[in-house]
Amino acid sequence: MTREVFIAQVEREQEALRGFLLALCCGNKGDADDLAQDALVKAYLSSAGYQDKGKFRSWLYKIAYNTFLNNKASLRCTESIDEARTLVSSTGSDAEFEHQDLYLALRTLPPKERSTITLFYLNGYSIKEIAAITDTSEDAVKKQLSRGRDKLKEKLKI
Amino acid sequence: MTKDKALEELFLAQKPNFTDNDAFMAALTKRLDAVEYVKQHQEATIRRYKMMMVAAFVVGIISGAITIAWVLSTPTNVPLFTFHVQTGILKWLAENSRLIATTLLSLLMTFGIISIINNVQDILQMRVRLYNGDLR
Repeated sequence: MTREVFIAQVEREQEALRGFLLALCCGNKGDADDLAQDALVKAYLSSAGYQDKGKFRSWLYKIAYNTFLNNKASLRCTESIDEARTLVSSTGSDAEFEHQDLYLALRTLPPKERSTITLFYLNGYSIKEIAAITDTSEDAVKKQLSRGRDKLKEKLKI
Repeated sequence: MTKDKALEELFLAQKPNFTDNDAFMAALTKRLDAVEYVKQHQEATIRRYKMMMVAAFVVGIISGAITIAWVLSTPTNVPLFTFHVQTGILKWLAENSRLIATTLLSLLMTFGIISIINNVQDILQMRVRLYNGDLR
């Protein structure tokens, strides 16, 4: 894949990717954009070996997911909702989002559950696709989805 | 597995609209330029490394061949070197000079080959790191 093709594809996909990472970083736009940039640089470096099978977006998500898991941003998020509320309200970048409660609730989920839930509800991926992106079995994805959904519903009281 | 309607609506409602797409792409292009620069620099280093290795290999082969030819061309009944003394160990060394020279030469060439193999492995690892995005 040439640099021009890569940039053209990224231009189409970057908004969705940034949205995914923004949810994983629980609304912290700075962290999300840094991770997106890191993931895209990694994708660019391995784009020589990428074979276009019409799954560019899933491929990017896989790299972004791994970048997120390997980054300290994934570790600092699992906190109680009260701690999270203080943190979120103190960061200016989050003020622009109306749905902070969702981010606060997401913050209390472990990184893998958060990723699975986000891919399922925000990005609309199927369980099979999520299993491929996160390199886990479909059963594991189902368990994570079920656990994550219950926790979110409890935190959000819906 | 069916989707929870309320959760799905909540997620879709919070889908962000980014207003800084151009700035994001500009920053990314800048980073890709930097990565490209480092990549080219590392590729040039690998090329230089390879050239040096080929040169060392050629020099080693030529000098090894010349030395072996010299050892083989000298008369077998005359030792390669003498110490003009009759003490035990030096006399033994002089008598077996041909064997000792050949052994040392073989050792030298073996070390040379081992170092070439190490260099090839280093180059391959550098390449893997380069293409995996680890540009340290």
